[in-house]
Amino acid sequence: MSHHPSPNRKTPDLVSVTTINRDGSRFFLHPADVRGPFTAARRWFALLLLAVYILLPWIPVNGHPAVFFNVAEGRYHVMGLTFITQDLWLLFFLISGLGFSLFFITSLFGRLWCGWACPYTVFLEHVFRRIERLTDGDAAARRALAAAPFTAGKAARRIVKHSLYLLCAAGIAHLFLAYFISLPTLYEYMHQGPLAHWKSFVLVFGLTGALYFSFAWFREQFCIILCPYGRIQSALTDDDTTIIGYDSGRGEPRGRKGTAGAGDCIDCRRCVQVCPTGIDIRNGLQLECIGCAACIDACDEIMVKVDRPRGLVRYDSLNGLEGRRRRILRPRIVLYSVLLAAGLAALTLSLGRLSPVHAVVNRMAGMPFYVHEGEVRNQYKLQLVNKRNTGVDFTVEFPNLPDGARYSISGDALRVPPQDEAEIPFTVTIGHRDFDGPFDLEVLVRAGDGGRQLYRSIRFLGPDPRFFQVDPEPDQEEEAP
Amino acid sequence: MSQITQDQDEHLVKPEELPPGVDLRPHVYDGIQEYDQRLPNWWLWSLYIFIIGYGVFWLAYYQFGMFQDDEARLAGRMQAISVRQAAELESLLAELDSDALWRMSRNSQFVASGKVIYTEKCVACHAADLSSRMGEVQLPGVPLNGREWIYCMLDGSTPVDAVTADPMKIFGLIHNGSPDPTKGMQAWGQDLGPRRVAEVTAYVLSYHDAPPLEAEPDDTSP
Repeated sequence: MSHHPSPNRKTPDLVSVTTINRDGSRFFLHPADVRGPFTAARRWFALLLLAVYILLPWIPVNGHPAVFFNVAEGRYHVMGLTFITQDLWLLFFLISGLGFSLFFITSLFGRLWCGWACPYTVFLEHVFRRIERLTDGDAAARRALAAAPFTAGKAARRIVKHSLYLLCAAGIAHLFLAYFISLPTLYEYMHQGPLAHWKSFVLVFGLTGALYFSFAWFREQFCIILCPYGRIQSALTDDDTTIIGYDSGRGEPRGRKGTAGAGDCIDCRRCVQVCPTGIDIRNGLQLECIGCAACIDACDEIMVKVDRPRGLVRYDSLNGLEGRRRRILRPRIVLYSVLLAAGLAALTLSLGRLSPVHAVVNRMAGMPFYVHEGEVRNQYKLQLVNKRNTGVDFTVEFPNLPDGARYSISGDALRVPPQDEAEIPFTVTIGHRDFDGPFDLEVLVRAGDGGRQLYRSIRFLGPDPRFFQVDPEPDQEEEAP
Repeated sequence: MSQITQDQDEHLVKPEELPPGVDLRPHVYDGIQEYDQRLPNWWLWSLYIFIIGYGVFWLAYYQFGMFQDDEARLAGRMQAISVRQAAELESLLAELDSDALWRMSRNSQFVASGKVIYTEKCVACHAADLSSRMGEVQLPGVPLNGREWIYCMLDGSTPVDAVTADPMKIFGLIHNGSPDPTKGMQAWGQDLGPRRVAEVTAYVLSYHDAPPLEAEPDDTSP
């Protein structure tokens, strides 16, 4: 294999990263246009994902945006469900579930996520590179423009391109903020000065800058060097994982069409020219490959032209490419599916048990217990949270209230307005003859008629019962003459 | 492609096979060789920038104390809250006196908002009708509808008639809690703030006959 370093063209190898030159400087890629079924499917899928990102804050579900993380008020609306900060533990199942889904999909299909669904790829390939294609032309034109001296015409193109970049970056950043403050508030903020909500302004300003830097300059460097998911995914693939690979048995040795003894690869380098991370897929599976399938479409187009079967570069497992038996069911697939199923079951159960109401019992400020006229009294407060869009009537019961004990709680105040909360004091009193030491008081809160039941438990405290045995009426001293 | 999986020695990269400019470290561990190549310049620059940035931060934060640390910021916030609460209390007390509280107790608007608070916070100990009794059962609180007023007398002593009681002392009692901490009346000023304490005071007073007031009462309550 020959190595001919040139400012415009490079031959990718397994020894170094194409996009980093020997002196550490950057080698900018100009991936060529590519056409084909995978490219088309990828574009449609990306447009769908973009539409989801753009539209979610606009679509109202149950009176709130479809996705609205209202951090300021601790209310998180997702597709009509409302969560409060106390429900945060559910995130464990969501994140681990997403993690196991990624494990599962990656061990089956390689880095499908990177090439098809990752927001970074979607924004880069289907927004920012499209803008560049529009302003600067195809790969050859872009390469020529980059090498051209800086003239007024080049400056104009650059200004237009980077203005469009900044506009898109700012749009993405503003929408991101809208997920947390809602669109009307965002609109309101935008009409006030930057200092009125300077934290939001700094966030959006910084995010715009980061997105602009990433998509205008940094590009594939993020996927190749920074992104941890790519690394994890690379560790999850094995010889039976479907990846994008080159059938070397069929392709080698390379040679022009008609050369005696040559394989199917005519060494046209189309697969290299279209690669967004600058690798040569014919060198085998590499860390840089984000699984975008551009080289499949590129190669298939050539194979059709030279009258050879498609699929010299294709989705296949390493075993399949070498002509060995393909396996789908492997121990790791079983393990990941079991873990995924367990996580999904736990999430489903938790979501089913997720309560639109919430109750907490705490001790009131002051002493832990009161002794008055031969009775022990504990004072508690009951915090009731209503996440519903309608008012909820709460009732309270004490299932394990000992004989001789009584409670006192406000009756009417247990109606909590929609999306609101109330803090209601209550007392539990036990005559000293019935008090034989601290115990766990059970509190049963019912929400609405036949509604959800919430069990809470709190300690009932009092003095050592021997205190009463020694002096049966300790509080009567004042009245005694 | 399958370099790693096959026999190691045969597949070790030899330095003379490498393109110019790529160095190979002399060691081999478990068949793994290491190239010695330059890091990306952007990587190095981000490292240098963060080293310099941390130096600046270290000097500014730890050596010159140019920024508040978390503890000081927390103390400052708490201080600001207590200052604001004190100011709120002070501004209310500037316009509040016994007569004002009596007048509030004749104003249906104040009494209504006081009732909401009373129903939520006070009923558990003082009962809905202020009697501190629920049926036959005596509740922990002091009855608020009777003629007996403890801690609230103008001269601070004998319980007599509501008329001789000082509404400002009732306000103070609700705001600061009972002077006797063994009784269990907590300082509600923390929870409610002075304005709502005044409203609930007005609600309690609305159950009692007011002394002759200077200004015309706005409304007559039950």
